[in-house]
Amino acid sequence: MIDADILQLDLTDLSWRIAARQISSSETVRAALTRLEQLENKLNAFITVLRDQATVAAKQADEEIARGKYRGPLHGVPVTIKDMFETAGVRTTGGSKILADWIPNTDADLVEKLRAAGAIIIGKTNLDEFGHGGTSTLSHFGPVHNPWDVERIAGGSSGGSAAAVAAGIGPLSYGTETGSSVRRPASYCGIVGFKPTFGIISRHGSFRGAWSQDHVGLFARSVKDISLGLDAVAGYDPRDPASVQQDKPAYAFRLEAKIKGMKIGVPRRFLDSVTPAVKEAFDAALKVLADAGCEIVNIDIPELRYAAMTSNMTSSAESTGINRRWFRERHQDYVPHVARGIAVGMTITASEYLTVQRARQRIREAVRSAYERVAIIASPTTSRVAPLLSEGLKGNSDDTHHASFNHSNMLRFPSMLGLPGCSLPIGFSPEGMPIGMQLIGAWFADQTVLNSALAYQSETDWHTKRPALAPG
Amino acid sequence: MNDNNRVAHRLAFLDGAAFSQADLESMAAEIEDNERIIAELEEFAQTTPWISLQVQPAGKKVGS
Repeated sequence: MIDADILQLDLTDLSWRIAARQISSSETVRAALTRLEQLENKLNAFITVLRDQATVAAKQADEEIARGKYRGPLHGVPVTIKDMFETAGVRTTGGSKILADWIPNTDADLVEKLRAAGAIIIGKTNLDEFGHGGTSTLSHFGPVHNPWDVERIAGGSSGGSAAAVAAGIGPLSYGTETGSSVRRPASYCGIVGFKPTFGIISRHGSFRGAWSQDHVGLFARSVKDISLGLDAVAGYDPRDPASVQQDKPAYAFRLEAKIKGMKIGVPRRFLDSVTPAVKEAFDAALKVLADAGCEIVNIDIPELRYAAMTSNMTSSAESTGINRRWFRERHQDYVPHVARGIAVGMTITASEYLTVQRARQRIREAVRSAYERVAIIASPTTSRVAPLLSEGLKGNSDDTHHASFNHSNMLRFPSMLGLPGCSLPIGFSPEGMPIGMQLIGAWFADQTVLNSALAYQSETDWHTKRPALAPG
Repeated sequence: MNDNNRVAHRLAFLDGAAFSQADLESMAAEIEDNERIIAELEEFAQTTPWISLQVQPAGKKVGS
């Protein structure tokens, strides 16, 4: 099989071909690394490339599989991880100058689980510094570019991971989300991004953005691939205080496009700020779900008008606690915008933080009540397609400073409340940029979210589109 | 306390970290925004219980 064909395969296809020894892990990893190196000067999606380690690990995977020691669907598959996760013996920067040369002694829980599953980590992806941002332009290592148009942002903070999967550099990548850092870049890059319920995947060994909102999430091109990637890394970990006791994960086994009779709520009042192209694609996507047997209902949750500002204030205060020591000693080494954000966070008092948490509880109760009426809340993931790099940070148009019915509340409430959410591609704008829809479930209804997303993908082919990105 | 003094008081939390005048002005604007946000959230959440999570070990049961 030639390299270009290998890179067209999604995880599900790649996995069974490796298991059946139709293709080897070594040739798959070599193809992914070649693609990475051909595109890196256009995308800047990686901070560290693990060519030597990945080549050795792939050879070992081939030997194990040949001996009949098959570890499962990720065995021998090239994957990438955001440079937020500690990797023993390999530098872990968080996208920051502060840790530009830091080499941890231990692996993050995610990395331990990936290694146990036989996955081959080929690179560590670029991000906004320590996850502080929504553009992936706030990295010490420069901005990430969008594979659909390299003049545009990939979204953040897990932009390198999203860009890598969209560009065919491995079928699966892992990132983190505190505000919208998986769903937003997935939407901007035309791939699937999934963030499970808070506590499903351990955060041990990953940098904290804001401990009460931080999640590990993942990117792939199909929902089936997401479920396989989730099974490999979900599970209880006593080292993460938020980790929840759970059965052995079997999301892929239980995946079925069964949504007949399911109620999907659409909070229309929050969609006025959405661009016409996004609104048109979203309405068409709702029709697909309705034709598949869902009941689409309007749902009004006025308390959500406080969601973005509550999420933003929570992140701001909590990240200050985490960065306080580095900030005192080395604030000039932070990316300037990030340093200013941390500084402002340091001015939030304890009583103000507690007031914000009271507001968060009120929003949670309103959303809990909404999930007694619907199984899924759906909205466009972002109000517009990926902004141009030249638009700067304002391009994301997040209005987080006032209570309003602005769409940014839709983007921010799932992580603030720990809800499972999936962004999936639903079309393109007139300028050829991907548009995403997010499906948000109640706490621990991760399977429902995945099943509804699969039902949509079973009826459409948006997720099969690839950017025409030439090496250079 | 007038607005300027309030912002200056908050900037004192920065432990002497040095910022340019332009940075300080931008931060002062954000701090004022945050004060408006807190005022809005205070009103929104005034009937909501205060958070009261304690720190007992997870999984501990009565009598165990």
